[in-house]
Amino acid sequence: MTRRISKRKRFIMMNPIIQFFKFIYLSLKILVIVAGGHGGTREVQ
Amino acid sequence: MSRIVVLGAGISGHVAATHLRRKLSKEHTVTVVSPNSNYQWVPSNIWVGIGRMEPKDIIFPLEPLYKKKGIEFKQAKVVTFHPEGDTEIDKPFVKAEYVAGEAKGTTEKVTYDYLINATGPKLAFEMTEGLKPATHKAYSVCTYTHATEAWHALDQLIQQMKQGKKAKILIGTGHAKSTCQGAAFEYILNVEQELNRHGVRDMAELTWIANEPQLGDFGMDGMLLSYGSNIMKSSELVEMVFEDRGIKWIIGAGVNKIEEGVAHYETLDGEFHTETYDFAMLIPAFSGHGFKAYDKNDQDITEKLFRGFMIVDADYTPKPYEEWSVQDWPETYQNPSYANIFAPGIAFAPPHAISKPRVSKNGTPISPAPPRTGMPSGITAKLVADNIIDTIKKKKPSLHHKGSMGNMGAACIASSGYGITKGSGISITTFPIVPDFNKYPDTYGRKLGKTFGEIGLAGHWLKLALHHAFLYKAKMRPFWWLIPE
Ligand SMILES: Cc1cc2nc3c(=O)[nH]c(=O)nc-3n(C[C@H](O)[C@H](O)[C@H](O)COP(=O)(O)OP(=O)(O)OC[C@H]3O[C@@H](n4cnc5c(N)ncnc54)[C@H](O)[C@@H]3O)c2cc1C
Repeated sequence: MTRRISKRKRFIMMNPIIQFFKFIYLSLKILVIVAGGHGGTREVQ
Repeated sequence: MSRIVVLGAGISGHVAATHLRRKLSKEHTVTVVSPNSNYQWVPSNIWVGIGRMEPKDIIFPLEPLYKKKGIEFKQAKVVTFHPEGDTEIDKPFVKAEYVAGEAKGTTEKVTYDYLINATGPKLAFEMTEGLKPATHKAYSVCTYTHATEAWHALDQLIQQMKQGKKAKILIGTGHAKSTCQGAAFEYILNVEQELNRHGVRDMAELTWIANEPQLGDFGMDGMLLSYGSNIMKSSELVEMVFEDRGIKWIIGAGVNKIEEGVAHYETLDGEFHTETYDFAMLIPAFSGHGFKAYDKNDQDITEKLFRGFMIVDADYTPKPYEEWSVQDWPETYQNPSYANIFAPGIAFAPPHAISKPRVSKNGTPISPAPPRTGMPSGITAKLVADNIIDTIKKKKPSLHHKGSMGNMGAACIASSGYGITKGSGISITTFPIVPDFNKYPDTYGRKLGKTFGEIGLAGHWLKLALHHAFLYKAKMRPFWWLIPE
């Protein structure tokens, strides 16, 4: 096992308060990317 | 009055059937033909496989729901396709064989005006010698029954480790052309966390084995993603996670034979090796179901409908990797020979892989097949349903709804440990799924910012929230259609 994630980073990753805000942020960001639409590619050509 | 027949009640078949039923008046019939009696939320099989969820948490019976909502259900499997009818019936039909109830074993010609083939993949365990779920200490998590078996075996091993046994655990792909690396990736991280939780992590050697040329390829040629304020390759992200968790890896490996506790594999450098294990979870190759199709005079026309999976509006011209283009990928999932047949989800034949094809020094192809995850499966099913709805309502062909995987984003929330406070998830979004090197030449064909990675507890909550949201949606509870695919 090689430590590749620093203690500080791990704290941020697992802190419920920080992660709560991250959860909101991620949910919105993913919603925008995924529900943001899709379409064809050929017409663009 | 139209009859729409949907084959398969997995993610894409169920999405198509529910949208069709909601948007079409009752004079039109929506029929689902599928051998499974339960709907299963496949992504949560990972948690069944580590004993943190039970099958009942991820499934529900289809028949009562369909009855309530006015969807006809035939618990049967389609065996042959007859898109022109036959000498007896002047309408297109599929032949279906009932798998349960009084009609079990009997066949029926199910006629249709529109056909949606959403039969997904065949889990082709037989393509790897000796690979069969729950034999030779090798397991699968592809269905909830497989995942339950996997958990029982893993649990037994954990108990033995508590008694002092040292164990080797092997997780990854069980064939040189497997796809769905993401599911195996989630499973290995969840297993690692569970070993920690049971206090036996030190007793286990955990190894990842995959046909990927690099870690983090995921059948998508890997990706360049934003990670915090950095730009990182997915291979670096996965390497960081594996090293941090003490997981070893074997990549570029095509598993070709399984014996009791031994996996045989060939690597891209042409070497043959073996890896021993006490417990393995290996994703099999996915293949088409081997369906046959016949014309009106009973002549075999299988090549008009299938090339392994179903032929749709893709460009299947064989070309070298360098000439692949995002425009090769289908947009409407319509069969070019029969305009009333569609194939969303995993059921359509992809024009080619996404990951660069590679062969070993012995000429064995070892590289991932293209993945089609739940999100694109749902999106493509909905757009197929919407085109059929428009065609019926406007009384003229309409293919207005389009969704190429080259112009669609996907979110892969890979669970990397279960628990409300101890859980973790690796959220990776990709846009587009199939890289577009013309639009995004400097970033491996994907849009940075929309292609990003995040690791942490929030990812686990997100995965859990999606589990509940998608089951709510699948059960067609109030306002279910507001939840996007
Ligand atoms: C363990 C695991 C974890 C996953 N995790 C994720 C994840 O986290 N996120 C994500 O986006 N994707 C995930 N996926 C991928 C996702 O599950 C698939 O993309 C999705 O299930 C594909 O949907 P589908 O409807 O095309 O196929 P399927 O879900 O396979 O459905 C096919 C349906 O067809 C039926 N059928 C089969 N044969 C016949 C026949 N002859 N006649 C009629 N019906 C038939 C089957 O019974 C089934 O109902 C995961 C996959 C696995 C295996």
